[in-house]
Amino acid sequence: MVGHKSAFMLENANPLIFQRSGARLLTSSDEDEDVHDPIDDREIFDILYLHLIRSINDPEHPLSLEELNVVEQDRVQVNDADSTVGIEFTPTIPHCSMATLIGLSIKVKLLRSLPHRFKIDVHITPGTHASEDAVNKQLADKERVAAALENSQLLEVVNQCLSTKSP
Amino acid sequence: MKDALVLVERFNAHPDSRCWHVAWNPTATLLASCGGDRAIRIWGKEGDSWKCLSVLQDGHQRTVRRVAWSPCGTYLASASFDATTCIWKKKNDDFECLTTLEGHENEVKCVTWAPSGNLLATCSRDKSVWVWEVDEEDEYECVTVINSHTQDVKHVVWHPTLELLASASYDNNICVYKEEDDDWECKATLEGHTSTVWSLTFDPSGQRMASCSDDRTVKIWKCQNIEGPGDMSWKCVCTLSGFHGRTVYDIAWCRLTGALVTACGDDGVRVFKEDLAADPDQPVFSLAAHVSKAHSQDVNCVAWNPKEAGLLASCSDNGEIALWRYQEDHE
Amino acid sequence: MAADSALLVSLVEEFVSGLQDSKANDTATGVQAKQFTILQLVEALGPSLTSTTPHTRARGVQLLSQVIQQCYGDLSESEVEVLIAFYENRLKDHYVITPFVLQGLKALTKRSLLPTGSAVSMLRSLFQDVHVQSLMLAERASVYNMLLNLMESREAELKGLGADFVFGFVQSMDGERDPRNLVLAFQIAKNIIHRGYELGKFAEELFEVTSCYFPVDFSPPPNDPHGITQEMLILSLRAVLTGTPRFAEFLLPLIIEKLDSDIQSAKIDSLQTLTACMSTYEHKDLAEFLSGLWTSIRREVFQTASERVESAGLAAVTALTSCLSRSILSSDSEDSLKTFLDVVLKDCQHHLCEPDLKLVWPSAKLLQAASSASYRASHIVAAVVIPGLVEQYNSRTQCAHRRTILEVMQGFIHTVKNTSQSADDGESVLLAHRDALCAVVFSALSENSSDLQVTSMRVLSALGQQTGLLSESDVERAVDHLNRLILEEDDSSVSVSVIVCAESLSRLHPTAFITKMVPTLKQEIFSESMVQGEDGTPSNESSQHAVRQRCVSALAAVSTQPSVVQESAPVLLEVLSSAHTGSGGFSVEEVVAVCFSLQRIADQTLDSEETGRFFYDIIIPRLLTLTLQAALQGEGSSGHRSPLVEEAVLSAMVGVISTACAKLQPELAGKMASRVVSLFLEDDVSFLSDDSLPPHIQLLKQGESWSRSQMVCLLMACVCSLPRNVEVPQVERLMEQLEELSITCSHVLSYTSAAKCYAGLVNKRPAGESLNALIQRSTRRVSSELDSPASPQRTQAFTLLLWLAKGLLLRYHPLSTALTDKLFSLLGDPELGPLAGDCFSLLMSDSADVLNRGCHADVRIMYRQRFFTENSAKLLQGFNSAASDTKSSYLKALSHLVSSLPKEVQLTELPALLSLLLEALSCPDQGVQLSTLSCLEPVLMEPPPALIQQLEALVTRLLALTCSSTMTVRIASLRCLHAMSRFPEHEVIPLRARVLQALAKPLDDKKRLVRSEAVLARAEWFLLGSPGGR
Repeated sequence: MVGHKSAFMLENANPLIFQRSGARLLTSSDEDEDVHDPIDDREIFDILYLHLIRSINDPEHPLSLEELNVVEQDRVQVNDADSTVGIEFTPTIPHCSMATLIGLSIKVKLLRSLPHRFKIDVHITPGTHASEDAVNKQLADKERVAAALENSQLLEVVNQCLSTKSP
Repeated sequence: MKDALVLVERFNAHPDSRCWHVAWNPTATLLASCGGDRAIRIWGKEGDSWKCLSVLQDGHQRTVRRVAWSPCGTYLASASFDATTCIWKKKNDDFECLTTLEGHENEVKCVTWAPSGNLLATCSRDKSVWVWEVDEEDEYECVTVINSHTQDVKHVVWHPTLELLASASYDNNICVYKEEDDDWECKATLEGHTSTVWSLTFDPSGQRMASCSDDRTVKIWKCQNIEGPGDMSWKCVCTLSGFHGRTVYDIAWCRLTGALVTACGDDGVRVFKEDLAADPDQPVFSLAAHVSKAHSQDVNCVAWNPKEAGLLASCSDNGEIALWRYQEDHE
Repeated sequence: MAADSALLVSLVEEFVSGLQDSKANDTATGVQAKQFTILQLVEALGPSLTSTTPHTRARGVQLLSQVIQQCYGDLSESEVEVLIAFYENRLKDHYVITPFVLQGLKALTKRSLLPTGSAVSMLRSLFQDVHVQSLMLAERASVYNMLLNLMESREAELKGLGADFVFGFVQSMDGERDPRNLVLAFQIAKNIIHRGYELGKFAEELFEVTSCYFPVDFSPPPNDPHGITQEMLILSLRAVLTGTPRFAEFLLPLIIEKLDSDIQSAKIDSLQTLTACMSTYEHKDLAEFLSGLWTSIRREVFQTASERVESAGLAAVTALTSCLSRSILSSDSEDSLKTFLDVVLKDCQHHLCEPDLKLVWPSAKLLQAASSASYRASHIVAAVVIPGLVEQYNSRTQCAHRRTILEVMQGFIHTVKNTSQSADDGESVLLAHRDALCAVVFSALSENSSDLQVTSMRVLSALGQQTGLLSESDVERAVDHLNRLILEEDDSSVSVSVIVCAESLSRLHPTAFITKMVPTLKQEIFSESMVQGEDGTPSNESSQHAVRQRCVSALAAVSTQPSVVQESAPVLLEVLSSAHTGSGGFSVEEVVAVCFSLQRIADQTLDSEETGRFFYDIIIPRLLTLTLQAALQGEGSSGHRSPLVEEAVLSAMVGVISTACAKLQPELAGKMASRVVSLFLEDDVSFLSDDSLPPHIQLLKQGESWSRSQMVCLLMACVCSLPRNVEVPQVERLMEQLEELSITCSHVLSYTSAAKCYAGLVNKRPAGESLNALIQRSTRRVSSELDSPASPQRTQAFTLLLWLAKGLLLRYHPLSTALTDKLFSLLGDPELGPLAGDCFSLLMSDSADVLNRGCHADVRIMYRQRFFTENSAKLLQGFNSAASDTKSSYLKALSHLVSSLPKEVQLTELPALLSLLLEALSCPDQGVQLSTLSCLEPVLMEPPPALIQQLEALVTRLLALTCSSTMTVRIASLRCLHAMSRFPEHEVIPLRARVLQALAKPLDDKKRLVRSEAVLARAEWFLLGSPGGR
């Protein structure tokens, strides 16, 4: 399901680079006990961006994914009331073999981070990957995802992506 | 919707894990469940409520995806992501693991007994369906490996009376197999779903089959020449769309009432009833009862009690099993 | 003497043949006591030294060397001469003797005086007769130490050896493997290079023998007792390799080679070494390698994912460029700097222009690194890059691209600033590009995108910080934009940026802010639509409120210069007047915001005499007048109640007055004190700008109205903030009245402020009899109130006790103990117990308005630790013997005390208190829970064994607290659980499933801040014991 990591590393020699964005500003209502803060797009984006995308990198690869806009806030759709989350992620180049791993890591990160009531859909941004449909179908199949996470080699790779490493 | 589904009981069957499947034994005295905790649990009614009678723990190294009772009720087969199928034998109140069937390359997704009890079918992510023969000494032998699907095979089911097998797959298709000249062959490929087909069920007469899919629909298929030789001709006679909000994971046709029930990834359980006045070639099904939050997470499986009409078990990703009573026209 | 010589012979005998090692010490004592001389010892050793058995000879030499080690300083020059000759001779002897010979020689080299020529002869023998690398580790160390000793004392002599010394050393260290010895050897090599020893033809050999360790790859064994770190070796080797340009031809190719390494630390070491040698090299040393170096550095910066490699690479570019910048231009030679920068520009500039901005950041950073090296470099780079960027900006349509270009521009302006400051004429490199840059900034400011607005304001600030880059009309135009953004832009990131930008521009360009911003903001604050407010829809009102808030904070932000304060502060005062009279529709929050702005102004400008006088003459009197008017008006009239009697407003005003008085010039401060004291004691209103005030206002008399008595907080703000050397007039009388008010008044703010004011004054009173008498009098009074359960004034007495205790505790006053003991005893008081428990938080924390260092209070360092050490036992004892219904007060006190301690102290004290703290976690009081959690969290980072034993209890309590009704408790307990995921794996694995299950609930907490802590903690627990996790 996932190619060897280093196979991806130098495929994308000239990626588009973006500057890192700032942290969410705290507002007074964030600290008000009585205000209910709905789970929103930015919150999900931050979970992925701060705790996942930043960690997926490799010493051999020139740039970290955070600079590559793999996940963008406007490709996150949350509906707290309906308990749904939709994410579109953008593999950096159309035939990037890491797409499934990135997608799986996003899915696992959200499964671990969101209340169980949420239905989580992870897709590739339309038109950005050669085998978009195949990857989307794999990510949507919870039986395959469950089996993948019982595969210790794969789980190890995913966990490494999910480990918060200090720079 | 005049009918209703009434919750009878709800219990946590696989704590901290998901419950993938529940199965009634033929006499409906026991319920077997399995899940992500690698365990199989056997439940029985004590007084007014269902209690765990035993836990079968050491058979599998990974998730147990499916359990199936033999028609005699003495044996229990379990299919696991660890690529094996275990056969358990009931001895008094205990179960012992008789044998482990190996051969699939990776996750076994489903196991099912033929009505005769002499044949067993399994399917796997390795795209194959295996048929096993059982002899009097409880020895199992693989009689055939069929590779008709191009992707994972999610489900296999036997015809209620004939030696006829159907399978559903990630390749969006359903295949139907028969034995011919000592060999099992695919006699029909049912195309129509636009995504993974998760489950199949035959109607009580065996003339029709219902399938459910990731495309959020249920389809009813009918065969004209089921007993004849040669290729079969199955036709989709009805599609139920617009009812389900997400993937439909399981479907079951009640042998006693003819009602059809589905388990859905939108947490709902739905019962459909057939309008008996309609043209048999254009059957009409209507939603008779619907519990939208039957569980707090995906519903993975639904199973009609084989003895008590209307009693239904369901299980969910949250590890729970729920029992429901389907009451027709309860006015 | 005969007896002594017999003694000596027997000592020698016992050491050499009897193998009694302790006799060496006895012998040394004998020499030091002059019972016998060292030469007599040599004589007595005669038979041993001439023995045919090498081991006996070795034993003899060992005794001699051990004695010399202890008394090398007491020897005469002639004795030393003999000993050196003896040892040199022994170097040729059997190898078992060599270690002791070296030991002796090393001891002798520690002497500051050595016979002339002895160093040379010693080294010649050493280099000739000893193969250092076949010695044991300790002997090799002896050799290096000898060399180091001699380099300190006999430098000239050693240099006389010429290149032979270097050659001898090179041979000695060739092949050294031990890190401790390498540190010594590198030190010798460094001395050779830095102290001008002749390298002769051995430069390359010296380089070879040291550079073979580069880059250093050493990880000390666990529990290494020697304390040698990789960093030590790296730095000492680097000092050798970069010490002389003679190594350039060898070092630079080596660096290029090592930059190709796969190991990140090797890359970083190489880059840092390169940076280090640039300070000693000249252009000619590196000319040949320049293009290779640049290619390698550029590759690293473009490709690396590591910020450390990137910053090391950038530093190297700066160092290279600055080395080239030092080369002197002559008309016939080529301009090496220009040539180099042309290459850099050629390789980087095009990335700034590519349509999709690939590699824009690494390129920009490289160019900025080069341009920051010197004035001339920044000139050359700016001349190419800035016009290019301006053109790029104008040709782009995508907002994200434009923002990126602005950010790059900002980077350049920033680097240029530093080089311009060091240039002789101080003229900015960017002067030529001024108009183009301003045009870009103004165009971006007018865009509809908050991203562009924020970024362009940063560029604007950067431009504004360099003289000459913004013309007067540019600044005015900028102010117009800022005004517009303040009034119209709701986006919070924009609002923050406007304030920051306005503040920075106002420092250098106050005039435009006086003429254009202050009037505009004033008009907006008092505008009709604001005043009418009532018929506006709620959303309108709240947005108008937000606009006002922004205007008020902007007024403070731009008040960076006295000239602006003269204009801005009156506007703020006018708001207070309007609020007081009820016109203008100002809310309490708005009035508070105005006070905060005044406080900010005081904080940022009171260093100037001019502003000091302004506060003294105008602002403080005005504040006092308005509050006094409000207080007087508040009585009787039942209509409009002035917001200036509200506690929130008064507290904010305390901030203004206290900040101002703490910073006033001493003379003005003294005058201020006497004005305020005479106002409060003698009803002297002469300095207030209101003739209509009644004659007898009697502010400190309780029984008058609360609106008057609460003004005592303003008295506190003034007299308690003054520098300690400023005399408070009539202080005795003042304190008497304060004590009276604090005990007898029934209005909370009044009696509390009186107590605080009293404590603030006590804290600064000079020590002595009169202070002691004062304290004792108050203590008696407080105690008598507290000891009579029926007294209606127990709470007041308790408040005074608390503040007085704090005031004295801070300065370590001996009489504080009696007061704090009283507080401890009150923990068991059924009525005041809970209050007493809470008060320890106040006692241990900094107060915002009094008794802090900002208002010149006498605060000794570490008073908290001291108090804890002296009292924790009392507290434990009190807890153990307390009745069950008062135990929670003790727990409160304990958790407050522990949480105020520095982390290191907590760690050592914690094991003893652990079970008590766990109990405190179950205490229903949220304050106790919170302070206990906050002192547990750091301890959990490195859990003591005592904690591990209580794991079960700890987890159970923490999990329960994740469902607390208070969000801060939920957050703190989640942080603790997060920290627990780092415990030793085998200890916490059994808890994993349970914790994961329980943490699913806070993932759905209604507060986002709680959820994000839960996400972090749960993620770590998932990784625990999972492949690839931890």
